[in-house]
Amino acid sequence: MVRYVLKRIGYMIITFFVIVTLTFIAMKLLPGTPFKTQSRLSPEQLAQLRHYYGLDQPIPVQYVQYLWHALHGDLGGSFQYGMRPITTMLAEKFPVSLDLGLEAIILGAIIGILLGIVAGIKRGTFIDYGSMIISVLGISIPSFIFAVFLQYYFAVKNQWLPVAEWNGGISYHILPVVALSVAVIANVARFMRTEMVEVLGQDYIITAKAKGISSTAVVFKHAVRNAMIPVITILGPLTAAIITGSLVIENIFAIPGIGNQFVESILTNDYPMIMGTTELYAALFIITVFIVDILYVIIDPRIRLTGGDA
Amino acid sequence: MDNILELKDLHVSFDTFSGEVQAVRGVNLELKKGETLAIVGESGSGKSVTSKTIMGLIPKPPGKIKNGEILFEGKDLLKFSNKEMQRVRGKEISMIFQDPMTALNPTMKVGKQIMEGLIKHQNMSKSDAKKRAIELLELVGIPNPDARVDQYPHEFSGGMRQRVVIAIALACNPKVLIADEPTTALDVTIQAQILDLMKDLQDKTGTAIVLITHDLGVVANLAQKVAVMYGGKVVETGTVDEIFYNPKHPYTWGLLSSMPKLHDHSNKLLAIPGSPPDLSDPPKGCPFAARCPHAMKVCVDHMPGYFELSETQKSACWLVDERAPKVNPPETIGVRGE
Repeated sequence: MVRYVLKRIGYMIITFFVIVTLTFIAMKLLPGTPFKTQSRLSPEQLAQLRHYYGLDQPIPVQYVQYLWHALHGDLGGSFQYGMRPITTMLAEKFPVSLDLGLEAIILGAIIGILLGIVAGIKRGTFIDYGSMIISVLGISIPSFIFAVFLQYYFAVKNQWLPVAEWNGGISYHILPVVALSVAVIANVARFMRTEMVEVLGQDYIITAKAKGISSTAVVFKHAVRNAMIPVITILGPLTAAIITGSLVIENIFAIPGIGNQFVESILTNDYPMIMGTTELYAALFIITVFIVDILYVIIDPRIRLTGGDA
Repeated sequence: MDNILELKDLHVSFDTFSGEVQAVRGVNLELKKGETLAIVGESGSGKSVTSKTIMGLIPKPPGKIKNGEILFEGKDLLKFSNKEMQRVRGKEISMIFQDPMTALNPTMKVGKQIMEGLIKHQNMSKSDAKKRAIELLELVGIPNPDARVDQYPHEFSGGMRQRVVIAIALACNPKVLIADEPTTALDVTIQAQILDLMKDLQDKTGTAIVLITHDLGVVANLAQKVAVMYGGKVVETGTVDEIFYNPKHPYTWGLLSSMPKLHDHSNKLLAIPGSPPDLSDPPKGCPFAARCPHAMKVCVDHMPGYFELSETQKSACWLVDERAPKVNPPETIGVRGE
């Protein structure tokens, strides 16, 4: 187990390095410069700016310099925000997205799993069809439609909750979290239902029933744990996607999150910001996948972690 | 009335897209204390449905019990509520399943799987239940039970898993044990071990066994009484000796003929030609008439009643009627040990 974890961490570092390199190359292939918008600059001024930001050097040199600084925890400064350190900016914006994302994933996973369990048990009934209709709607309708609907009903028409402002209070969390969790609920519920139906048809469920234990015990002690195994697989990437912030939802609710920041940085060729955010996303994704693999071992005793088969 | 379990005119059907399938059509069976009754018949004859109905494990819907009684110690299990049935399952009547590879929960330690029933039915504490689970593992012949109790099913071989399944079934000293093809999924050497184990445990605990199988060798080994099922009906019952040495029903003849014989290398395996009847549209007369080499006109039109041949043997075949022509059983009937 320890050997496996160490080996995995090694692979994770390599993966991360590859992602950083590819992003750097892709970013340099983007047309335009960070200074395109200030079109009144004379060529001399532009050259001066390029020199100031180190962009006049050959790309390999820039790359090595970037890596060297990054290794020392310095991701550079934002071109658009007067060289404010990227690390400071990420530390400021990311917690908001992380907070909302985690709340949405926890809410979504709990509701989704419960909905899936009930639909799976009551297969072919009104409850089953009802929850699957909800699920299909949740998957096929984009989250911003729900967001707008929620805003209209809960904030405009009834004024129970704030519309589109942010001060971090709980009432400001509710609508965006609900809007974000709809997709999670839908995906998890559909998956969980399929797995429950599959597991409930297994022989060991009959064995459990034949012991005379209650149907609740059969479902929660025997069925759910087995049905959870594949669901964890989709929860991993889903979590990574949601905690890294949703551009649309953050825009609609005026949330100062990282999703918004990322898109802006690409549009303005804010190289250090692009690199910093990508690195954060990549690290989160890699770590989530790793946690999912560890969770497998905890939940499924048949999976063994050995150094040999990483 | 020393019958511990008695089925009276049991009818079980399933609703399917192609209509109602009448899987069990009027089954009568009797089981005495400590006795072993074998139910034999080919796939689709209704044996497994019968056993699951006794346990109350038929999914409803699509299954439904149309008629009949299942008397356990004189009380009709079909009238029991869900809660009452839970108290019967695993405690009074328990079950061993066909495939030990899938009958155990892969994500739960075997010890815990044995303990569940003990905690539910005997109000044992966790530590007492674990002690008992270790005893049970030892009883079913699993070496090193102290360590094995904390292992997961995938750490056991097929034969060992079947022993665990048996330990689960025996945990609360049930009065009736239903074994649904307990050796079918095991290889031959392990089959013999499991049968020996079941025999041995029956001597120790006095449990009555309903053994469901299509393997007549297993029947000869373990059972005192045999019920031959075909097309959802019991076509012949009797003691093991009567069924093996003096069978009257042509289907029983067919079954016995299709047994491979130890000393006869020249002949090919005999099979009963044709296939079982479609139970969504069951025949009016004898279900075996279409495949029976001795079928008469009456067989197609009327289902025969039971002809009592001795105190223990009954056969549902018109050939036994005194008006029927004399037909001798085929010489291909193989009897074990001859």
